[in-house]
Amino acid sequence: MKTLLSILCILLVFSGCSSPYVENNTVEEIAPVTFWSLNQGEGGRLEITTLVPPVTDEKKRLFTLNVDLLKQGKKEFNLKFYRELKFGQLRMLIINEKLAKKEVISIIDTILSDPDVSPRLFLVLVRGSFEDFLEGESKVQKNLDYYLYRMFRHYERRNQGEMSIVNLHEFMEKVYSHYSDPVLPIFKADKDNFTYEGTALFNENKYVGLFNKREDQMFQLTANDHYLKNLPIPHLNVSLGQVRSKVHMQVDDQLKTLTIHVKLKGRIDEYRGHQNILSRSEMNRMTHDIESYLQRETAELVKETQRLKIEPLEVGAHTLSPLVHPMTRREWLDHYEKMKVHVKYSVKIEPLSL
Amino acid sequence: MSSRFRLFDRTAVMGSGYIFAMVNRMQMLYYILILPKHLVQPYMIVGILGVGVLSQINLFILAKYLTSNYFVLGYRGFVQLFSEKIVRFFALLGIFFILIKVIVTTLGYVEIVHQFMFPSMKTSWLIFVLMASGFYIASQGMEKTIRLSIISFLATIWVILVYIPYFLPPISEIHHLYPLVPGEVSLHSWYGLLMVWSALSGPEYLVCLGPWIGPKEKILRGMSIGNALSVFEYLVLFVACLLYYGSPYLEKISFPVVNMIRYLQSPVFERVDLILISLNMIYFLYLIALFLLCLYGAIRIVAGRINIKTNRKGFLGSVAAVFICMLIINGWYWREG
Repeated sequence: MKTLLSILCILLVFSGCSSPYVENNTVEEIAPVTFWSLNQGEGGRLEITTLVPPVTDEKKRLFTLNVDLLKQGKKEFNLKFYRELKFGQLRMLIINEKLAKKEVISIIDTILSDPDVSPRLFLVLVRGSFEDFLEGESKVQKNLDYYLYRMFRHYERRNQGEMSIVNLHEFMEKVYSHYSDPVLPIFKADKDNFTYEGTALFNENKYVGLFNKREDQMFQLTANDHYLKNLPIPHLNVSLGQVRSKVHMQVDDQLKTLTIHVKLKGRIDEYRGHQNILSRSEMNRMTHDIESYLQRETAELVKETQRLKIEPLEVGAHTLSPLVHPMTRREWLDHYEKMKVHVKYSVKIEPLSL
Repeated sequence: MSSRFRLFDRTAVMGSGYIFAMVNRMQMLYYILILPKHLVQPYMIVGILGVGVLSQINLFILAKYLTSNYFVLGYRGFVQLFSEKIVRFFALLGIFFILIKVIVTTLGYVEIVHQFMFPSMKTSWLIFVLMASGFYIASQGMEKTIRLSIISFLATIWVILVYIPYFLPPISEIHHLYPLVPGEVSLHSWYGLLMVWSALSGPEYLVCLGPWIGPKEKILRGMSIGNALSVFEYLVLFVACLLYYGSPYLEKISFPVVNMIRYLQSPVFERVDLILISLNMIYFLYLIALFLLCLYGAIRIVAGRINIKTNRKGFLGSVAAVFICMLIINGWYWREG
């Protein structure tokens, strides 16, 4: 017992002299920021922006720093502000499109290697100036950063097809996976608005293009969520609701043709055309029109990915099987680029009920 | 005071439950936390199963000795079997092996704690705390330490359930599991298999616990169930890692099994990984204590003091020596990851 007590005493004395902890996390003294917005600065530097303080009831301020390294921002920030910056609550990383064209992966690697940052961090691309939006909107909406986070979380949870929401882990997993390429949501920001624009496409880790809002719907149906809460087709004066899809992709043995068969189920939400869709024959014609429209759109989507030589649709993953050794990414993409595409839709629609 | 300090008393014999818990927890030590990173390829699932069977053969051999009459006698059995000189030589060898085991286990765990929980803390503090607690448990005596095995087993076995979400969509991607047949077998995969093999080691330390475990008929059964459960846990963890990361990404993660826990979010507490790392400490501590006791016993045999009563000073001295070894290795040789 004596030894134990003496050990305890030694421990206390030592820890009193020089505390083994260096970190101080007293809430009143720290600023656990919830997002970073990254922009291209002057002379190849990074311009990073955040809103502080995120927790307490003080007036929020916008902080912008010009730095060479991302983590340097943390240091500069501490020298400037009376609270210490902490990454533990970081929830969103907002990257400007222009910066993304140059580099994404080095930024994301930095964030990923920090044990404080959760792999559930949302990654977002922004076209335009997110800083302008923050400046304008934070005067009106006090907890803007928090509500933005809740928005992403809301759409992530049930995968309901409005947006492609991607977190840090999903992004990195796709970057390293040979048969898929990552995507990110892209938003357009200006003084008053922050609007979803579509899905940004990456070739491994380079930002190469995007699906606009119309193409994005097809992307959600065939690859991302397999569900759309609302699918408006203005071309046919019809809007479908609660659309659920089941995708079957098949590549033939010679790797010459790709057949995509999508089974779609939904109901008519709205119809403003002149056909009498209550009658069966007219309804059938209508279904047929929808099918051919979706086929056309989807085929175009696939062709776009072939042109860019990227794999956001993960077609290659369908060629894998337990007993066959897979090709390399390059080999597969060479085949994929030249592949003929057949898209077939089987649409089943519950008629408009009055 | 020192007359009451008895480390190696025996008042009861521990049944197969204790053996099972001990074997299982010994096999789930540090290595499993880094193992998936070295296995990487999906076909290693078969490798794990194969090595599991091999390890069972090891256990058969071990059980042959554990059920012999020499075993129950403990030290005296060994002396009858060989001779005192040879036993002392073996004990000297054993000291090195146990020392390496204790050091690797402790430093490995300290590294995890350092990386995920206290990145700014000096590692020597963590080693000190771990060794001090290990010393406390060990100083309760061999019998109580062995009894702790069931508690540490029950306290940590449920952690495997935490990995269930990784088998379900949207987190898991089934195509990460393909192909299940090896294309070409590289040196690296042989190395991975060797690592599984060494991770499944541990039960051999039961040799040191002769007088405390029994009855004879049940020893093999306890060990086999423990081994089977370990192989099952290995499979669960490895497949979960594959489904979550995919092989190319898995290669780049330093502690995949711990790292992936960070993806889970409970509504109450966001960093589930911190709780689980701290929980793991229970069986790390238990095993450190057990190894310290074995080490002390071996030192006594080598020094020829087996018939003299155990005393606190001697034990504290040997633990302090281990601690200093650890600090030296931590300072000079230990390479993270």
